[in-house]
Amino acid sequence: MPAENPDSTAPPSAPRPPGGAAPLAVIDMGASAVRLTVAERAADGALKILEEASRGVLLGKDTFTHGRITGPTMEATLKVLEGFRRLIDGYGVAQVRAVATSAVREAANRDTFLDRVRMRTRIDVEVIDGSEENRLTHLAVRDALGDHPALSQGTALLVEIGGGSGDLTILLDGVPKFSGTYGLGAIRLRQSLGSWKGPHGRKVRLLTRHIHNVVEDIKREVALTEVAHFIALGGDMRFAASRLLPQPDAAWRCQDLGREAFLTLCNEIAAMPSAALAERFRLGPVDSETLMPALLAYRALLEETDAQTILVPHASLRLGLLLELARGEGAAGMADLGRLVMASAVALGEKYHFDAAHGHAVTHLATRLFDDLRAEHGLSERDRLLLMVAALLHDIGIHVNRNAHHKHTQYLIAASDIFGLTSDDQAIVANVARYHRRALPSKSHLAYAQLDREARVRVSKMAALLRVANALDAEHMQKVWDVKVLRQADEWILMVEGTGDLTMERLMVQARADLFGEVFGWRLAFREGGAP
Amino acid sequence: MTARGKRDEDATPRLLNRELSWLDFNDRVLDEAADAGTPLFERLKFALIVASNLDEFFMVRVASLKRRIAEGIAERDPSGLTPAEQMDRVADKAHAHSARLHDALHGGILPELAPHGAKLARPADLDAVGRAFIERLFHEQIAPALTPLAIPADREFPLLAGLTLNFAVALDPETGDGPPRLAVVQLPGPVSRLVRVAEAEGARHVLLEEIVRAGLPALFPGQRVGASAVFRVTRDSELELDDEGGRPFVESVSAELRGRRRSDIVRLEVEREAPPELVALLRERLDVPEQDLYLSPSPLDPTRSLAPILDLPAPEALRDPPQRPLPPAAIPEGADLFALLEDQDVLLHHPYDAFDPVVDLVRRAAGDPDVLAIKQTLYRTSGDSPIIRALAQAADRGKQVTVLVELLARFDEASNIRWAQELERAGAHVVFGVRGYKTHAKILLIVRRGADGIRRYVHLATGNYNDRTARLYTDFGLMTSHPDVGADASAFFNALTGYSDPPEMKALVMAPTRLRDRLLTLIERERRRAEQGQVAAIRAKMNALVDPEIIEALYAAAGAGVAIDLNVRGICCLRPGVPELSRSIAVVSVVDRYLEHARVFWFRNGGDEELYLASADWMPRNLDRRVELMFPVEAPEARARALFALDAMFRDNVKARVLGPDGVWTRRRRAKGEETFRAQEVLYREAVEDGRRVTRAAGIVLEPRLRPERPPA
Repeated sequence: MPAENPDSTAPPSAPRPPGGAAPLAVIDMGASAVRLTVAERAADGALKILEEASRGVLLGKDTFTHGRITGPTMEATLKVLEGFRRLIDGYGVAQVRAVATSAVREAANRDTFLDRVRMRTRIDVEVIDGSEENRLTHLAVRDALGDHPALSQGTALLVEIGGGSGDLTILLDGVPKFSGTYGLGAIRLRQSLGSWKGPHGRKVRLLTRHIHNVVEDIKREVALTEVAHFIALGGDMRFAASRLLPQPDAAWRCQDLGREAFLTLCNEIAAMPSAALAERFRLGPVDSETLMPALLAYRALLEETDAQTILVPHASLRLGLLLELARGEGAAGMADLGRLVMASAVALGEKYHFDAAHGHAVTHLATRLFDDLRAEHGLSERDRLLLMVAALLHDIGIHVNRNAHHKHTQYLIAASDIFGLTSDDQAIVANVARYHRRALPSKSHLAYAQLDREARVRVSKMAALLRVANALDAEHMQKVWDVKVLRQADEWILMVEGTGDLTMERLMVQARADLFGEVFGWRLAFREGGAP
Repeated sequence: MTARGKRDEDATPRLLNRELSWLDFNDRVLDEAADAGTPLFERLKFALIVASNLDEFFMVRVASLKRRIAEGIAERDPSGLTPAEQMDRVADKAHAHSARLHDALHGGILPELAPHGAKLARPADLDAVGRAFIERLFHEQIAPALTPLAIPADREFPLLAGLTLNFAVALDPETGDGPPRLAVVQLPGPVSRLVRVAEAEGARHVLLEEIVRAGLPALFPGQRVGASAVFRVTRDSELELDDEGGRPFVESVSAELRGRRRSDIVRLEVEREAPPELVALLRERLDVPEQDLYLSPSPLDPTRSLAPILDLPAPEALRDPPQRPLPPAAIPEGADLFALLEDQDVLLHHPYDAFDPVVDLVRRAAGDPDVLAIKQTLYRTSGDSPIIRALAQAADRGKQVTVLVELLARFDEASNIRWAQELERAGAHVVFGVRGYKTHAKILLIVRRGADGIRRYVHLATGNYNDRTARLYTDFGLMTSHPDVGADASAFFNALTGYSDPPEMKALVMAPTRLRDRLLTLIERERRRAEQGQVAAIRAKMNALVDPEIIEALYAAAGAGVAIDLNVRGICCLRPGVPELSRSIAVVSVVDRYLEHARVFWFRNGGDEELYLASADWMPRNLDRRVELMFPVEAPEARARALFALDAMFRDNVKARVLGPDGVWTRRRRAKGEETFRAQEVLYREAVEDGRRVTRAAGIVLEPRLRPERPPA
């Protein structure tokens, strides 16, 4: 199997900025709070947190109840962000990245809201989806845990119960195999009770029941019993840690929470109504409402595993954002992302019993074509990764039915969570994979038509390469091991290196170079043997 | 008060009453005025402070008691007394206290001051030159400002402003044998209460009220003026008492509640010489019960009337020897404060140490191109404060300046708003306090770009950023660049400016979120150590100890054998030295030249001692209704100095008073042959010595200037 290295042609990594470089800031607009972290890069490259601020807002409560952010919440959030802007300016921050998650993502009036944010605070907020959140968080977790056995030996479950959702990632030897977003968000759980007023004990039983049902769904996808390491993130879990463990020092990376101690604390907290929690632990109104549902959700998941400790790493979405911002758009980041994305894609392929050898071969050939034609297609490193995923998974639809399997592939990819890819990314991958055979991209195809113009062009270019690469392994026998394009005055020649009879491949290339001709404007001839 | 109350025969209350304890404190200040060993002019100063304190006590605390009584509240306070019972005892004690004050003034201080140019004369005593001057003054300047008001019996009494001086004048009836008619003349506010009158030989002082008294007939032409008397009413001020160096705070009282109040006069003072019929008439018309009537010798308002005497020239021996605040030994002359703070913390002890380094720190920050932001709380400060000027300058230079201003009482709001607006115009971000809480914490944060990244410099203090009070109050200030303190300081300001919810802090402890719990935990920890047989001890110095929960925790600790030494300047509701309750607790109060103001808390912690300074007293209002900070002192030199000062406060045997189990304060007696130890003097001498040591150690160094130095901006 050819080795995959999406980094092979990337430029050498940029020199690290000198110490004392201008600080960086990241903002995370979550369901229950808006949070800011300002950090600087120390001389040794490490990140030093300068300031953290967090203010409770009711974005989640609004969106999950009314479907939109109400005026007062909008105003309160804007006030906080104006304050953040002042803090950011006070440090002479060079780069700011602000992201918003489900509470803003799902609000019907999110565009108006984000526009007001931009006008009032000069902060451009990027709305990210669950898988992007997972990827960034994972980045921070790896940074915090380093070579901890949880990231090198066996199966680990990474859980974060946020306000809007519960995000789960299964890591095998530290590599994400699966990730998904579930309806376990603490605010959503709260809202699920609606205005139901009854004794506290019954409220807890209803919540537990609700959580149980979601966990049953999760178990259908993930073998939680195999989980050896339970890694938990999120404010509510950090609160639990702060109750059970001594306060960590400034340089803390990870705390270990005993299973039994945690379960005892859960029982204690479940017994208290939120007003009592607020009073006893001096929690804000939002935190006191989310604490109990969140801990119940963690507990339900923990009880499905055999993990004896909960690892609480010093990691968050914001730290992930910071790490990425500090690292810059460098090649190292892309290589790392590529590794994780491909691992997750392989796991998805395995789920649908794909022909792994064929998938990898097509991936290799598609990458070779991509690299050879960089000057012509002008696509990005990220597109290269998307093409690789499409190439790897282009046949998974066969699992549903061989007939029209390209269409099955399309919806399977679109409906799956691939670690590290955003939903926009996955829409591209699904389209590219779909066009690996049969009809060419057409605006009469709904999924294609839904893409914006720029994305449609990218899909066409990548699909053109994929169709040729797939043709080069027409018999699924991996006879072709390299390919190059020779540009000649009147035509382009596909220089194919391989062994055995390549007749089938030649015929297929002639048939599938249709889109290539359309996209690049050149007829493609097939020639066996290395360069002339 | 006695240990056994009238009501409760079988139990000594666990706590002392706070109002009575406050009167005890004022009595200790009065001791200083009465003490013949105190220089004469200082005695007058103490007497005037006592009078002014007492005015505030009536306006605030007595008013609050009366409000509770009027609302029918019979709930007992932690000392077991209902508001009505408290009022009775407060009135008894306040009458005795007032009488003692006037004895001190008229029996000692004023007569002794007479030979030093402070002789008070009546207009009739003056010679012709003096009398002519007074007459002219009355007709040209005073009379035009007077408005005599006749008050017919069926007409409501006019609303007289609190603490103003007024004449009650009995006018003979218009027709034959009717009752005398009452008229009121309010003394003009802006005119000086003490008039210096030149005579043919020398000059004497005449009280304004005496000049007016002499002129009364002229104000009622065609009528016969009968008896007259100066009087003054004290009203419920709706203020909260505060010892932070300014006027008291406005306490928010709902309009509804205010409307319900029947009468808001809390004290009526009438000059002692007034005829009883006139006094009775006044009392009746003003609806003041006997209990609230105080008959006192003139002047009724010594604070305002006699203050000018303090500024008269006097022989040196009649005043405290001057003590110039010293340049702190920890800061070498001309040192770069930022560089200095890289390696060490600096502890300042005012007023022994000058306040200048704090001003200097803000000034330097304003002029330093690497400084990005300055954030500061300002609780009480004068509009002309050099700190405000420096902050405005910093904002003007594009630095991010955030100032959290706690507004003063309503009288001063106009001037505060003016300088706050000036700061805003310069580009500073001004926040006017936090809703529902008064910001009492004193903290300054400077964010600066250094060679190896962002560095934060923090100044934390027990007293205000007020260069004036820093000369009169003893306070600690700590300058540090410790990263944990810096991070907490940032978080603190974010919370106060509403950018963030109250954070978990690493080094600092904040009220109202955590301070109460932390103090209870620290006390509890000593108790547990004592129970395990370890040596356990607490030493704490504060202005007031009132909080029942903290006091009970101290009792519990004492029960386990923790040795507890408390240095409480003012109110102390804890009852020390009671067997089975507080045998191992001792309470001392030091009242001396400077107002003791620093809050210092020390816990033995099994030998791993912890030392904290704080802006908060152990009172419910500080722990629950104010934003306060407690901060650790960890650098060895700073610790040693603070601990030496704390120890000195307990060693004092000149100005220290000891609280007995019966709630009675007595001056500490020196053992035979025991040397005198006056803490404030020792601490000043120590500061002088420190300065000398540093100078000696540094020797003489001739340092060439390698390039022309720019004068500081």
